[in-house]
Amino acid sequence: MKWLRLIGLVAVPFALLLMAIGLFLFARQGGFAPYRLPQDSGRPIAHDAATLARGEYLARIGDCEACHTAPGGSAYAGGRRFATDYGSIYSSNLTADREHGIGAWSRDEFAHAMRHGVSRRGPLYPVFPYEHFATLSDADIDAIFAYLRSVPASAHVPPDNRLTFPASWRGALVLWRMLHYRPAAPAATMDDRGRYLVDGLGHCAMCHSAREASGALAVDGYLAGGRIPGSGWYAPPLDAKQLQHYSIDQLADYLRAGVADSGTAYGPMAEVVYRSLQYLNDEDALAMARYLKSVPAHPQHDSGFVLLPEPARPSVAGNGADIYRRACADCHGKDGEGEPGRYPRLRDAVATRVPDPIDAVRMILYGGFAPTTARNPLPYSMPPFVQRLSAADIAAVTNFVRENFGGQHSSLTATDIQAMHGIVLD
Amino acid sequence: MRARIIVSTLLLATTPFAHAEATLDVGERLTACATCHGQRGEGVQGAEYSPHLAGKPAGYLFEQLRGFREGRRVSTSMTWYVRFADDAFLHRIADYYAALPPRTRSADAGASQLTDERRSKAQALVERGDATRGVLACNACHGANLAGLEPGIPALLGLPIDYVIAQFGAWREGIRHGAPPDCMRDIAERIPAEDIRAVAAYLSQQSNIDGLRPAPAGSFVPPRTCGSLPHAQEAK
Repeated sequence: MKWLRLIGLVAVPFALLLMAIGLFLFARQGGFAPYRLPQDSGRPIAHDAATLARGEYLARIGDCEACHTAPGGSAYAGGRRFATDYGSIYSSNLTADREHGIGAWSRDEFAHAMRHGVSRRGPLYPVFPYEHFATLSDADIDAIFAYLRSVPASAHVPPDNRLTFPASWRGALVLWRMLHYRPAAPAATMDDRGRYLVDGLGHCAMCHSAREASGALAVDGYLAGGRIPGSGWYAPPLDAKQLQHYSIDQLADYLRAGVADSGTAYGPMAEVVYRSLQYLNDEDALAMARYLKSVPAHPQHDSGFVLLPEPARPSVAGNGADIYRRACADCHGKDGEGEPGRYPRLRDAVATRVPDPIDAVRMILYGGFAPTTARNPLPYSMPPFVQRLSAADIAAVTNFVRENFGGQHSSLTATDIQAMHGIVLD
Repeated sequence: MRARIIVSTLLLATTPFAHAEATLDVGERLTACATCHGQRGEGVQGAEYSPHLAGKPAGYLFEQLRGFREGRRVSTSMTWYVRFADDAFLHRIADYYAALPPRTRSADAGASQLTDERRSKAQALVERGDATRGVLACNACHGANLAGLEPGIPALLGLPIDYVIAQFGAWREGIRHGAPPDCMRDIAERIPAEDIRAVAAYLSQQSNIDGLRPAPAGSFVPPRTCGSLPHAQEAK
């Protein structure tokens, strides 16, 4: 009996405390409101040419089609795979098919999913950037919805998600949202078009921000740069310091062309330029560039990149200069000055200056093409060196480039390079 | 009159630019390709898994590039290079390699010896096919000299043995797809594995010493309607 009383004395207050914390967290993520689908207000869906054109433009800048289309599949029919730490998630069908797409949705239901990440299928996984889309204006969301309704309907059924427990259970998303999700006030950023595009539709912070181990964006990590989950690439910080070598015009041009004198879009950014940013109109491109260059400089953020433990750290820095002269200098110049319009400058380039070396290593290992865009229809390419240089040589030349042209302390070894092997498609 | 002057001035102003654009050297943009396929698409000694590209029909090359981009052909590295390239650029790449002189040497001269028996078996398949299995002769479509047919059928000369075997495997497993009807998939399913090996070894020893280009479109009519052939397109 004494035991029971003791348990009661400890457990009951403990349970009450847990409940209080739970209630507090639940209230902080918006209470029950996000889980209540709105009634159809019966607002008609516009189908005039101007709204559809505007919706198409906005959907492009939001890069909706890229994620909601499987490789080789019909547009917006879903089924593209996203690799996460918890397994694979497949994007949904956004075409007007009533059963498999969103043809039966009302405008209000669509707006609710965009803003709160909850649809008639339940809470959505945060690979869908609803936290960013929450700031979109009603008019923009409605135009996107109208445009999606005009896309040919497809009865394509995307594969089921393959997730490990507890992520496989949709209820776990409520828990995740209690810990990480804060509902945003809609259209809070409308007064600054650049910020509206960067933070909202463009959802740049999805890749360019630092993340916590849970996959949530770090509190102080806004546009601070970080590894992109599942992709094997690092997205650089976006701020006044990082972009100091770009003028606003140059940056606006880079967003649409995919190339600039001191940088080229490769990896996930190549896709964003190819499918989305190249279609920016002048005004929006300039607004985004202006805003990005106004973001206050971040302190050097720890990217989470950890060098592999000793041993296996033979000294390789010595021959980096030789390898650079033999393999790189023909195009990138003997002082890393590059050749405008053809070969990117390495001195002070973003990829040589960022704390995480993985993008530089990936480019040296596998090379690649810049995306084709209207402003750069015939792109140049970087050859792969994975067959020509040993892992130790690649470590040495990366160290040389980063130390000499990027002012970064760099002590990669062959083992580090081997850990970065492998082309990641998706 | 005034309009005509404006138009002709515009023409004068744009022509030199358009001309420079047309003759611009796409090759210097393709350093990534040269690593495995050779500086002029002739293939690389020691990287013999990768086929040569020079002198293959432009239509064929374009279809393959598009296939890698859209998943009808599977090669992680090829997809990596072409995934964000539009059709116009892929056409330029295909045209560039198609215009280069075809590779003349064989891929694996002496690398993989064939017994006389297997050699004659392979040669029979290449030249006469295998009627009992419904397998057409290679040269019925790829040309009597195996130099290919414009615009969609590649030459079979100078291809590495491993590359040829891998393609048959990919057709059989449904990893490589041609435009339907996919004749090569059908043929690959009908040939036993040991014959594929023999044919691949035989083909890898054939050279194109005269530098023959693919036969002009329509210069002979292949016996079957395949997706990669223009008369199949017309029949649709």
